[in-house]
Amino acid sequence: MANQVALVNEALMQQLATVWAVFQGLLLEAIPFLLIGVAISSVAMAWDPRGKWLKKLPQGALTGPLSGALLGFALPACECGNVPVARRMIAVGAPLGTALGFLFAAPVLNPVVLLSTWAAFPDKPWLLLLRPAGSVLIALLLSGLLQLLCESDLLNGELLAERNLSQPLAKFSLLERRSGLIGEPLPQIKLLNEANKNGDFQPIQLLSHGVNEFLELGSLLLLGCGLAALIQTLIPRDLFLLLGQAPTLSIISAMLLALVVSVCSSVDAFLALGFAEQITPGALLAFLLLGPVIDLKSVSLLSRVFTWPALALVLAGVCLTVLVLGQALNLVLL
Amino acid sequence: MPNSVGAGASAQPGVVVKQLPYLVLGLWGVVLLKCWADGRLNLLLHSNFHSLVLATGVIFLLLAAAGLRWSQSIPSRRNYLPMAVLSLSGIALMLWPPKPSLSTLAANRSSAQLGDSELSFLSPPEQRSLSDWVRLLNSQPDPQLYAGNPVQVSGFVLAVPGAPPEIARLLVRCCLADATPVGLAVRWPPKQKWPTPDQWLQINGVMAVESHQGVLRAVLVARKIKPIKAPARPLEP
Repeated sequence: MANQVALVNEALMQQLATVWAVFQGLLLEAIPFLLIGVAISSVAMAWDPRGKWLKKLPQGALTGPLSGALLGFALPACECGNVPVARRMIAVGAPLGTALGFLFAAPVLNPVVLLSTWAAFPDKPWLLLLRPAGSVLIALLLSGLLQLLCESDLLNGELLAERNLSQPLAKFSLLERRSGLIGEPLPQIKLLNEANKNGDFQPIQLLSHGVNEFLELGSLLLLGCGLAALIQTLIPRDLFLLLGQAPTLSIISAMLLALVVSVCSSVDAFLALGFAEQITPGALLAFLLLGPVIDLKSVSLLSRVFTWPALALVLAGVCLTVLVLGQALNLVLL
Repeated sequence: MPNSVGAGASAQPGVVVKQLPYLVLGLWGVVLLKCWADGRLNLLLHSNFHSLVLATGVIFLLLAAAGLRWSQSIPSRRNYLPMAVLSLSGIALMLWPPKPSLSTLAANRSSAQLGDSELSFLSPPEQRSLSDWVRLLNSQPDPQLYAGNPVQVSGFVLAVPGAPPEIARLLVRCCLADATPVGLAVRWPPKQKWPTPDQWLQINGVMAVESHQGVLRAVLVARKIKPIKAPARPLEP
């Protein structure tokens, strides 16, 4: 009996040590990309503090998300890096569709990810076409869906308040902007918009903005990495791939795996290479489409952009779209 | 003239509050540099990412120094909770280095499917690494081709439920989260106890053919088994 208890204890300690190591791996890999995203966000703030240029990005239902998606070619960051950039775009009043298009599609529509997809699957040229195309489609559909909500239901409270400050008074009254209320200091929002009279930021203000954004998002990234490490260490990965060649179930299992494994979009194709032969083509596409939009690691970061109900809508919308795309591919190829 | 970094002891509470974010950032700079210097990145990340971690640590330290030097001229945000979370986790990372059980990690994951394209050339049998052997067996699965070939490989002991343990390595593309095992079946010396999981071994032996669940497969017949230290770079790209 004592031996059994000792064995269980030892197994538990091994599991915990492994969770701790996987957590460190995920975190140390993601932090440089978060820094890149925060740096781009800060540079964007310095370059265009009032959003003069960003507000001029296309606003159309199609052109907005498409132009946002194409921005990925200019700012090649994975999903950890582009959350702060998308937040900045939204905060300075850029068209919502453009910012959402960037948020959802840029992690795939960038040269690093496309090259790694091609390098991992040179024998599947259809994947090199369908991955970016599917990603753009997801961005279009999610942008359209989310813009049906009013901004107060869609955006995280702090981000919404900051966005409202950048809107013209014709659109929001002082009361709605919460910038004219006596006894309502809102120090955080004021700091982010504390440009001088010429609309410029001092370097130390940019540094302060960047450091505070890193602290906020970094602490959330920690939680996401911890959750992802815990689940993927304790639940056998084969469980996610058990459903192998069943057309629909294989897609669902690949989607679950993408949510749990939480690797960066620039290397997920190489990870998929390891099990590509065990699953259907639709499941492979689903794995490569879902992870860059949302996973356990990024969900806490996304909570700084969206309200929780809106985040649930993002999850439901992207899962449904990816499932349909995977099914369509299986119908054609199987 | 703003106060210098060393003003901390006599500084007013407001000054300390303004400097806190930069102290946390500096702490993380130190954490990243320590992770890079103590070799743990070899265990956690693909080598492509090592320089990124180093550069990030240096940038954090430079930004923290700049912030501590000039932060008093602007109002501060009070992100106490994120700062506390990041500080505690940073300290934990420094105090507890990763000591994963590779066998536990590998047990939850299916073996990596290595493509033919990765087999760029064939070295003599005794010079092939464990992953070279697995690649070769994947690309040319007929085990008869290798019967009698001398083998010298090193790896960790991977427990296999209901079967003798294998000798294995972990392959990573990004970080430990995507590590997948590659293993060779081993016929251990008959009168010897099986080695314990996670133990690192160098095995000299020959390839043979055996029937496993009705299918012929290649098996490494161990002749000489030597316990070794875990290598500095236990993960293979």
